[in-house]
Amino acid sequence: MPDLAISTAGLGKTYRGRPPVEALQPLSLDVAAGETFGLLGPNGAGKTTLVKLLLGLAAPSSGTATLFGRPIAEAEARRPVGYLPEGHRFPPFLTGRQTLDVFARMSGVPDNERPRRAAELLDLVRLAGAADRKVGTYSKGMLQRLGIAQALMNRPRLVILDEPTDGVDPVGRREIRTLIETLRDEGVTVFLNSHLLSEVERICTRVAILNGGRMVRLGTVDALTQRARAWSVTTTPLPDATAAALADAFGDATERPDGLVRHVVTVPDRVALNAALDRLRTDGVEVEAVEPARQSLEDLFVEVVAPSAL
Amino acid sequence: MIGLFLLTLRELRARKVVVGLFVVATVIWVAFAFALQLDIVDGSLAGARLFGQETVEEGPTHAPGDVMLDDAGQPILGDDGTPRTYGDELPFGASTLLESVVFTAQAFVSGAAYWIGILLALFATGGLVASLTERGQVDVILTKPLSRSQVLGGRLLAVGAVMLALVTYLFGAVWLVMSIKSGIWSPRFLLAILVVWAMFAVVYSIVTLVGVWSGSGPLSFIVTLGVVFVSLILAIPDLALQVNRFWRPVVVGAYHLLPKFGSVGTTLVPQLATGGSVGSLYALASSLLFGTVLYALAFFLFSRKDLAPCSPPPGPHESPSR
Repeated sequence: MPDLAISTAGLGKTYRGRPPVEALQPLSLDVAAGETFGLLGPNGAGKTTLVKLLLGLAAPSSGTATLFGRPIAEAEARRPVGYLPEGHRFPPFLTGRQTLDVFARMSGVPDNERPRRAAELLDLVRLAGAADRKVGTYSKGMLQRLGIAQALMNRPRLVILDEPTDGVDPVGRREIRTLIETLRDEGVTVFLNSHLLSEVERICTRVAILNGGRMVRLGTVDALTQRARAWSVTTTPLPDATAAALADAFGDATERPDGLVRHVVTVPDRVALNAALDRLRTDGVEVEAVEPARQSLEDLFVEVVAPSAL
Repeated sequence: MIGLFLLTLRELRARKVVVGLFVVATVIWVAFAFALQLDIVDGSLAGARLFGQETVEEGPTHAPGDVMLDDAGQPILGDDGTPRTYGDELPFGASTLLESVVFTAQAFVSGAAYWIGILLALFATGGLVASLTERGQVDVILTKPLSRSQVLGGRLLAVGAVMLALVTYLFGAVWLVMSIKSGIWSPRFLLAILVVWAMFAVVYSIVTLVGVWSGSGPLSFIVTLGVVFVSLILAIPDLALQVNRFWRPVVVGAYHLLPKFGSVGTTLVPQLATGGSVGSLYALASSLLFGTVLYALAFFLFSRKDLAPCSPPPGPHESPSR
């Protein structure tokens, strides 16, 4: 069994009220150490509730959870964790450098290591020049980068990032993505909670989609976006007779600027696919590419969280 | 916990009100140091001037051992038939006048510190506990490997340390100035430091509990002022006898239940400041008990509170951005 960074078993949360709000239905989820995991869902889906429960900001109504094997109720469970909350507010009277120092001290980073680590991370997030300026004068993007540096001060084994690119310009966004990839390469577990699906699609190896407080999809990005029994076939234009013969299998066609046509081919199995390809070649159609048809993560997301899917 | 302690100290420093309190304290003791002139002759007060104005007319300048005379100039005889003499222990006379000036000054400072200083300190620090429950900052702090008790405790320790430093600075400096100027060293005045600080801590327990419960700094401040106001009314002597039978148990019950801010301020603090004998400590002790219970409740509530409440359940569908 792999080392688990996060493990939940029936973890749920219902907020008291009239009526009570079931923010997260019992959820069982394992995230392996070293994995880059994406958590997706529309507003109010339960993503933030899950993160709050994992980090001890709210108490679960049901179930259990551990971080690296330690129950989340123990403060020590959070020692190997770095967290960037959404909409964080650092004390405006501290400088960037002081902010890192104060919060790293709370994380238990030794005195002799803090200044060096702070300098290193300020450099990494391009805030070295503003390190001794009051945080109150920072722009939103700078605050976000400072938040990321803060989350990394204690050299965490698990980084939980809540909308890390919120308010960051495209260049900064790319830098953050590169940073996350670096963390992944160093074996750090990354738990990414983001609305930016393209970002999640690029970075994460596995994703979960929450909707209405329950998990509606879980799997690798490849597995989730692959359409069942569908392939993308790029060919030269089909003669009318061929098109008519293969009309049942060949669905949507998109003409590309180079004159080739991309078809979405839906067939029951590989044998049927090869039969269709044989027919194309027999009719003199040239095949450029055959690949499993995928939908984008955005398409999948919209499909599973659309009101009709609820 | 040290990190939160230091963060709170920085936050207090950033709040100009706390710095202002230290400045006011400095102005007070400097005023006593330079504006109050005591003319002391042979250990007795010959005159006192405040900002150059005569405040005590030149009184008798008897030295210890001098024979006491009546208005007719005849010696006053004691019980044993011998003439009475002035001495340090006499209940009246020039040395008593000097003590009176010293004690009046100390009573003024301790009274001002108690009645005004505590309220100003509450105003300066009132929002600190409630801010612990605000989304944005609390997310970062509480996700550190600290227990909730450590977080709240670090906050309260810092507030308590700053207030103790402030009261000690003011009282200590005034005490030193007055003692050096008068030659009367009355260390009992310094006990008022602990009483003022303890009562601040008692009143702050209300700020803490309401702040943790509601997350609102202004509300916690208003509720605390309300409790202080009620305690002032309850401190009216024989109030229970002045109300009708229906309200009597309510008044008596409230008096014993609530902190006795008014009673401590009108009895214990002046007694310590003026060197008088200290009567019952019930008002202080029961107030401390009240504070202890409220702090215990606040810690309990804080340890179980769901902080940084989450978004409401799904409403209108919102699409992600790409």
